[in-house]
Amino acid sequence: MSSTAAVPFWRAAGMTYISYSNICANLVRNCLKEPHKSEAISREKVHFSLSKWVDGKPEKPNCHVYKLSCF
Amino acid sequence: MAMAALRREGKRFALSSPNPINVLRSSLAPSEEQMSLGVRGISTQIVRNRMKSVKNIQKITKAMKMVAASKLRAIQVRAENSRGLWQPFTALLGDIPSVDVKKNVIVTISSDKGLCGGINSTSVKISRAMHRLTSGPDKESTYVILGEKAKAQLIRDSRNFIELSITELQKNFLNYTQVSVLAEEILKNVEYDALRVVFNKFQSVVSFLPTTATILSPEVVEREAEAGGKLGDLDAYEIEGGETKSEILQNLAEFQFSCVMFNAVMENACSEQGARMSAMDSSSRNAGEMLDRLTLTYNSIVDDAECGAFNRLRIFGDLPRFGPASSNSIVGTQ
Repeated sequence: MSSTAAVPFWRAAGMTYISYSNICANLVRNCLKEPHKSEAISREKVHFSLSKWVDGKPEKPNCHVYKLSCF
Repeated sequence: MAMAALRREGKRFALSSPNPINVLRSSLAPSEEQMSLGVRGISTQIVRNRMKSVKNIQKITKAMKMVAASKLRAIQVRAENSRGLWQPFTALLGDIPSVDVKKNVIVTISSDKGLCGGINSTSVKISRAMHRLTSGPDKESTYVILGEKAKAQLIRDSRNFIELSITELQKNFLNYTQVSVLAEEILKNVEYDALRVVFNKFQSVVSFLPTTATILSPEVVEREAEAGGKLGDLDAYEIEGGETKSEILQNLAEFQFSCVMFNAVMENACSEQGARMSAMDSSSRNAGEMLDRLTLTYNSIVDDAECGAFNRLRIFGDLPRFGPASSNSIVGTQ
């Protein structure tokens, strides 16, 4: 039973639900007023280093420093 | 920084024990004392060096314990609050470790830093057991590793099964955004029917329970729902809006994974700090006992020396020489 119902625009653009909700959360955080805003922005920092493994060998890790506050 | 200090002390400790000759060369005045004692027993210099090393190690481990205790306090509240994130999911979709699927992905969560007792080893042990259980004729399982310690252990025998490895997770304060981005990366890079997250759940400061959380992919959820059993009631829920059931299940599965990962990472961080606290505590206690034993040895050597000096005074009428213009070189008669 294939669903021909329209998929949401973000799913069609290739995003997962997680990135969709993260962007929404970022928008909400940017709406806050000043003292709470900087606290909330500090809760958004992302840092980790991911490396894919191919044939038992790690490739060069790419460090993920994700900045959502580009909106 | 604490690690570097520990290593320094360890080197000094090792150096001070074997060779009295090196020790003699290093300091002048106490060496006179040794030579005048003859070759009787160990010198106090060695014992004193050892005592200094052990005392420093004890100070360092005590400091590390305090640091771990304060970090634990900060993170414990957040971890317990994060449990509420995945409980509704378990109520809805169930957590069935015994589900039988073709592609399993085992997500092992461990720490980056060491000196935290045995928690990383238990995680790796469970991951390996899970891997054996879920590998078979037409089933396969792969690893996604978070943290340096598990990577180091799993590299040895499961190199070919590792898909992704992630480190430097705790550089900033742990927050949901970070873990959700991580979860998304994992979901994008890995094909799975079931994800099994292995972590140490934080029960109390001294007890950490290795736990597995199972998250099924949307297709498997559908399959299980049709097969009845625990997920059979899924169809009883109404779906609002213009979305289909598979659509919703996909969203739910992704969000469930993100929440479970968040909770798992926080619980593991708590367990890491708790385990480090108890490891450093037992280290300090051992150092204290060692210090007591060394003090007894030191006192007995000094007693011997004084006894010997007294005997010499009694028999030969003079005290052993301690140096050129020392006030001890009084010649007296018995």
